[in-house]
Amino acid sequence: MSSGFIKGIFGLINRGDENKSDSSYLTDGDLVQKFVNENNQAALGEIFNRYVEKVYGIALRITGNPSYAEEVLQEVFLTLIKKAHTFRGEAKLSSWVYRVTVNASFMHLRAEKKYESNVSLDNYVPYDEKGTLMGKIKAKDWSSRPDIIIFSKEALETIEKSVNELPESFRIVYHLRDVEGLSNEEISKILDLSVPAVKSRLHRARLFLRDRLSDYFDEWRKIS
Amino acid sequence: MLCKDVVENIMGYIDAELDYETLNELEKHIDMCPECMAFVMTYRRMLELTGKLKERTFVTPEVRNRLKELLRSKLKS
Ligand SMILES: [Zn+2]
Repeated sequence: MSSGFIKGIFGLINRGDENKSDSSYLTDGDLVQKFVNENNQAALGEIFNRYVEKVYGIALRITGNPSYAEEVLQEVFLTLIKKAHTFRGEAKLSSWVYRVTVNASFMHLRAEKKYESNVSLDNYVPYDEKGTLMGKIKAKDWSSRPDIIIFSKEALETIEKSVNELPESFRIVYHLRDVEGLSNEEISKILDLSVPAVKSRLHRARLFLRDRLSDYFDEWRKIS
Repeated sequence: MLCKDVVENIMGYIDAELDYETLNELEKHIDMCPECMAFVMTYRRMLELTGKLKERTFVTPEVRNRLKELLRSKLKS
């Protein structure tokens, strides 16, 4: 997170005097080159800082298990060190890291034979058979609640929990787009899906989550 | 236009990707339909809320340290 972290982690093996304000302005590609060509440990430290939470977050989201997530985290960084020299400037390091992370996470799931829930969201819709929302949304409208309630710790925990109820294939799309903020195109490359497929899963996931949040805020209103 | 069309076009609406005609129709419906108005508002609020999930950290100091040691041993060898 901080320059203290880099010093703490890599200070012992870093003989140079790289400082954080220097490497933090470099692109991912520059950092990889510095690490590969100059064996610059501070550059690796900066890559570490940029990706450690993202990698762990994705692994945890897919596997749902902190021990697996840690194993994935270690695998990804070991692969990064080993394969850094094969990395070409035109590729995006982030896409590569995400892809390795997603693949390693799914490998862990399969190894544990924990298959995804049989909940299907393919046809999940909030409207009735006539295509109307009549009586379904307005009664539970929570959009004008004060920020202190909407952004409360409990609301965040509710959404966190609801995200984990999504089937895996929806959960990972949702995480990469709405939590990590990647574009649909990037996600389509990382997951080997078409852009329409990415959009469709994201759409159903959001509809499901919006409903879950509405139920949560409605309960909250009743008891308070 | 039906509520269904608002729901199915919500991503395009939020991302400003709808063509002019669809956007017009959609906004006309939303203006007249309190259910869809509430749908759009809560949808937007949800996106604000989920944006906050990014700020949370999950990697504990122990996990960091074990990874640090592992990388350090690999780099030395
Ligand atoms: Zn409507």
